[in-house]
Amino acid sequence: MLATIHFLNILLPVLYLAGLLVYYYDFTKEVKGLSNTKRIFLFVTLVIHTFYLFARTVEFNHPPITNKFEIFTVLAFSITFAYFILELLTDIRNTGLFIIVFAFAFQLFSSLFIEDLIEVQEVLRNRLLGLHVISALLGYSGFTISTVYGLLYLMLYKAIKISKFGLIFNRLPSLETLEKLSFSSLIIGFILLTFAIIIGIIWLPSAFPNFSYADPKLVVTGIVWLIYGLVIGAKISGFWYGRKLIIFSQIGFAIAILSVIVTIVFKASFHSFY
Amino acid sequence: MNLVGITINHRTAPIELREALHFSKNEIVDLIPKMKEDLFHEGFIISTCNRTEIYGVPKVSKLHFQNIIDFLLSYKKIEGLKPEHFEKYFSCGAVKHLFKVSTGIDSLIVGDSQILGQVKEAFEISEDMNFSKSVLRRIFDVTVKVGKRAIRETEIGEGAVTVSYASVQVVEKIFASLDKKKALVIGAGETGELAAIHLKDREVGEIAISNRTLARAEKLAEKIHGEIIPFTQLKDHLHHFDIIISATSSSDLILTKDDIKQMMKKRKGLPIVIMDIAIPRDIDPSVQEIDNVFYHDIDSLEVIVKQNMKKREKEIPKVEAIVMEELVSFFSWYNTLEVVPTIKRVREFFEDIRKDELDKIKNKVTDDDFAKLEDMTRRMIGRLLHNPTIKLREIAEQGTNIQEVETHSVILKELFGLNNGHSKNYNPENIDIPKKEGTKVD
Repeated sequence: MLATIHFLNILLPVLYLAGLLVYYYDFTKEVKGLSNTKRIFLFVTLVIHTFYLFARTVEFNHPPITNKFEIFTVLAFSITFAYFILELLTDIRNTGLFIIVFAFAFQLFSSLFIEDLIEVQEVLRNRLLGLHVISALLGYSGFTISTVYGLLYLMLYKAIKISKFGLIFNRLPSLETLEKLSFSSLIIGFILLTFAIIIGIIWLPSAFPNFSYADPKLVVTGIVWLIYGLVIGAKISGFWYGRKLIIFSQIGFAIAILSVIVTIVFKASFHSFY
Repeated sequence: MNLVGITINHRTAPIELREALHFSKNEIVDLIPKMKEDLFHEGFIISTCNRTEIYGVPKVSKLHFQNIIDFLLSYKKIEGLKPEHFEKYFSCGAVKHLFKVSTGIDSLIVGDSQILGQVKEAFEISEDMNFSKSVLRRIFDVTVKVGKRAIRETEIGEGAVTVSYASVQVVEKIFASLDKKKALVIGAGETGELAAIHLKDREVGEIAISNRTLARAEKLAEKIHGEIIPFTQLKDHLHHFDIIISATSSSDLILTKDDIKQMMKKRKGLPIVIMDIAIPRDIDPSVQEIDNVFYHDIDSLEVIVKQNMKKREKEIPKVEAIVMEELVSFFSWYNTLEVVPTIKRVREFFEDIRKDELDKIKNKVTDDDFAKLEDMTRRMIGRLLHNPTIKLREIAEQGTNIQEVETHSVILKELFGLNNGHSKNYNPENIDIPKKEGTKVD
């Protein structure tokens, strides 16, 4: 089993890179028949990645969420999985390149530095923690995808404004569609993050004696949640739409990234395990 | 093949002459009986706003192209029309040109999507008027096939190649679906009408027309089932629309930046597309600085048109490859028409000899032996003729050169004396067979 895990650890970034190249080639060249092939390729990658995560959980007796590099591979999987579902639901196949690039980067860093961890803190073997982390990661994957679609929106917006009718104009879906994709993934991300926060609030005080609501990670996560909540509220009430809404959700994502950096800097946080 | 074709098109003649020589459907129907009488056994006429083409199989072997031109001029008196305004095609060249026309690569706008339908219509008229026979019908089928293959297998018809269509393409890059959008067309002239029709084709939810002359607005609104916005109240209604296309002949600006700012306030910043396809422009171009206002004029839309034209031009070699492939395939079929009667006659000739010789010995052998002889000679003839038959078919199917096929057929007919009448007239005494030692001729 260990040999298989090591092999898959090398294979996965290769598969993501190959998938990225296929999506890139189709985006730039628009080859007939390739759009189905690339979808099947992505599906196979996801199946292999699922097996890899499952194998690690069984072999090391804990879900792969106990350190940065384990979390990176889960992030790569969840981003790709979320995109794959979105592609199936919307049948918009030209934006994968911009999403899979993140999955590839996360998987590459994970594969380069991940270790065979057998000894972990007992608290990290808790099932509620697993649920808390997985839902938070899926939530952040939703925000990542939302941000990518937001960026594509801004690129296309600019291209149309300045009459630059190149690759971006020809190959991306309409502005309205990009806004819809960005907002849909934001909603999914928000729901999952809310779920992660609720589990955290219920479980964390009992699991950690030094628990504090003033913990930097909790505070920043709360701010991220509020910003995204505001964006959703503004959109639903019809107060904001289009470019303004997209820019605000980009700010939300920037703060979310900042939250990760902050928690790494503040090692004293109870919410840090590595 | 005797097919001849003449064409007047955008390469050969100015628009005035092309327009003058245009034939309506009724005129074609009127012309065909006269052509049947004077020029062709079979044929057809393709006539569009950019080209008129006449194809036919001449009644006389030495029909001069000038006869066809004279015939046309006797029907339509056109001053200034000269033989140089026509391209002339014959045989393989005529079929190839027709195939190219059907794909749109010979059109003024490369990849023109309407030409295939117009070619089909020309064929239908010819069929309806009993002006086509088996070869021409085969040409019709293959021509339509070539046109469809070009659309299906290449991108010759992809992308907007007119300014009004390009404006719709930009609109579709902003809005996901147009069925819930409202569009306003300012100006009911030719350009405005074209834009309105494109919008209607794209199933835009609601279309309104505003024009200085109310009667023209009413006429266009009726045509596209749209509403009318009085020109004097235009600014009060702007905020209701997601798409504005302006194409008036006004020499001054109709809408200023302030007008659009006011409109955007009323729209609460909702995105709007403004296409100014008028010359001179109707709307202040600085409106593109306003957030969520997507303003485009003719110059920016021309960029799309040029890009798409380049893309289509890149597809021409692929289309030409399809044309060549189908041309070879067509002439493989056509050439077999020449050899099939020859093969049939050779086989009949051998069969007659066989029967004749068998009749001579019928009463000299037993029934059992006769049956064996009959069977043996049949197999012998079959084996003797197998290779020549296959070879002749191969020659016919492999080349587009009808002369080569004809030469082989003539040699075969000459060798067996098949040119003068039916093989029933076979008389072994008339055939000069070299007598070698040991060769016996009964």
